[in-house]
Amino acid sequence: MQTLRTTNLYSNELSCPSCIGKIEGRLHALAGVEQASVHTTTGRIEVRHDPEAVSVADLVAAVGEAGYTAAPRGF
Amino acid sequence: MAGSMESTRMQRRWVQVAVAAILIAAGFALRAWSEPVYAGLLITAAAVAGTPIAVRAVRDLRIRRVGIEALVTIAAIGAVVIGEVWEAAAVTGLFALGGALEAMTMGRTRRALALLLELVPETATVRRDGAEVAVAPAEVGEGETVIVRPGHRIPVDGQVLLGRAAVDEQTVTGESMPVEKQPGSEVYAGTTAAGGVLEVRADRVGADTALGRIIHRVEEAQEHKVPAQRFLERFARWYTPGVVVLAVVAGLLTGDVRLALTLLVIACPGALVISIPISVVAGVGRGARRGILVKGGEHLEQAAKVTAVAFDKTGTLTEGRPEVAAVEPLDDGIEADELLRWAATVELGSEHPLATPIIERARAAGLGLPERPDAFVAHEGGGVQATVDGSEVLVGTPMLLSSAGIDVGPEASAALERHRSAGRTTVLLARGARVVGVIALADRVRDDAARAVADLARAGVRRRVMLTGDAAAVGHAVAEQVGIDEVHAELSPEDKLAVIRALQAEGERVAMFGDGVNDAPALATADVGIAVGATATPVAMETADVALTTGRLVRASEAIHLARRTVRIMRQNVTIALATVAVLLTGVLAGEVHMAGGMLVHQASVLAVILNALRLLRSSRNSHERNSHENEEPESATAGARRRVTDDEEAMLTS
Repeated sequence: MQTLRTTNLYSNELSCPSCIGKIEGRLHALAGVEQASVHTTTGRIEVRHDPEAVSVADLVAAVGEAGYTAAPRGF
Repeated sequence: MAGSMESTRMQRRWVQVAVAAILIAAGFALRAWSEPVYAGLLITAAAVAGTPIAVRAVRDLRIRRVGIEALVTIAAIGAVVIGEVWEAAAVTGLFALGGALEAMTMGRTRRALALLLELVPETATVRRDGAEVAVAPAEVGEGETVIVRPGHRIPVDGQVLLGRAAVDEQTVTGESMPVEKQPGSEVYAGTTAAGGVLEVRADRVGADTALGRIIHRVEEAQEHKVPAQRFLERFARWYTPGVVVLAVVAGLLTGDVRLALTLLVIACPGALVISIPISVVAGVGRGARRGILVKGGEHLEQAAKVTAVAFDKTGTLTEGRPEVAAVEPLDDGIEADELLRWAATVELGSEHPLATPIIERARAAGLGLPERPDAFVAHEGGGVQATVDGSEVLVGTPMLLSSAGIDVGPEASAALERHRSAGRTTVLLARGARVVGVIALADRVRDDAARAVADLARAGVRRRVMLTGDAAAVGHAVAEQVGIDEVHAELSPEDKLAVIRALQAEGERVAMFGDGVNDAPALATADVGIAVGATATPVAMETADVALTTGRLVRASEAIHLARRTVRIMRQNVTIALATVAVLLTGVLAGEVHMAGGMLVHQASVLAVILNALRLLRSSRNSHERNSHENEEPESATAGARRRVTDDEEAMLTS
């Protein structure tokens, strides 16, 4: 059992409910992502993942493939 | 960005309304020339205005929600089927107009989070291997040493290792007075240091800091806040199926399809679909002219139900900045003015945040101050010293004087204790190594705070609570002055949120009044968050549902009264619309009413609800507005009404 951690990515391009499914689908398809949820009101993409198997950069790339620019945020 | 997207969506709504209106006008103009052209143009108008409505109706039905859109769609189609093209165009056109009006008053995208993030400094200066490097605040490692220069924001939560400074912590703790920091003190990310360089050990970074948690709480509140179900939605849930059932039953009983369709059309009058949006727009417009900025019609409905109010103290009930409250000589030979002049002269050289109020008070009293003090020395930790009238004067905290080897003495200690229990901050003056006086500073209570609280009590708000990050003594001192009996003190931003939740769990509808970053989670969680302007931080303004832009607290009860009036007029309008429907339905079923006459009654009822809503633009008769003692141009109740509508429309369109 690896340690999972939560990473928050932010995107200001989330406006429609349809992007939720697209982004969550892409993230869930990654090995090492246990849970992904998209909050359109705040533009937050919350991901529980195994940092050994899938890095923050991988997550950003996956969201990018869905067609949205996102970035991790320190605060 | 979301804002521009919203405005294009809004433009599209208005374009649809305008196109439908032009088509309807063209249809009537050409009616004499060709009936089919008239019918074609009006059906086109109904399609232009009605298509988005039908799309929404279908989307709602998919998630098993029956909205007013469904009723409008059915009625419009029914009207076309029975050949009442004007009614189809009218009901869809009015609903589209109502929607466009409502969109003007709908909650805009909030920028609260972006503004919260601006409190995080761009970079943090960290000492690594003996050299200073600039890194992103979130990249600082736990236990690393961060260097904070005066005037800069602190990038992490941690403990001061070295240096002394006065730190303005209002963003995180809500404390109005700057806090003296020395080795061993805790400091917070997002607060600003003044007067000295600090070396801080990073204990918590990024999302783990107090500011990080505030940001996270506001985020969660915004994500989980279920939009309040608007009156129209609640109403449509039973009205729409009711009407459909009635029409079906009538159709089956009589075998008359035309009658069934006529019932459907009659039951969905333009008055009903326009009555609520027009009331909301008028209510919001009225508020805007009174300095009550409502960020969405739904907040008016929420505000009308408020049973409990929670006030932040600093900057909401108080002015939010320290003022000299007392100048007390401890030596019979010294006048208070003289004491003040000495203190102000020394403070001229200081960058300490408490220097400003002392200097201001001396200038206001007309005491002559020099350009700059002679032989000025700033001591570690905010004490200052200079030569005034030939002798050395030292101004500083009691602790500082003790550490400078000056005996404070029983008389001064007693004075200090007296001021402290009244919730004041104190500085001592020493002249030639002898304590000669005390200056007490306090955050002054707003002139209108007591009246605002009393007005809310009179308006029937059951519970009035104070939430403060300050010490209990300070909280109770202010509460006593404004007439609040329930005080929760020494609260973190998360504690404030918890108090709001507890009130809600007891069944209260809570309005939270706040102004600071530390109020943001509570503002976002309350049923109605109200930012009190003038002192409000941009973060609070963005997080709140309502902003009192004049910063006058007496507007608080007025906002609640306006909300109640708006809801009252909303209900009256629905009643007018439904009464019209009832009369017409009875007429149709009795075979007395023909379509043409029925339509005329409909149009009259549309006019009636619009005129009724416009009453909101006048001052209320039992004026809660008039007794807020303001030098406003007196409003003539009737003459101005028409002209003012256009003012309001302009104000709303340009905002």
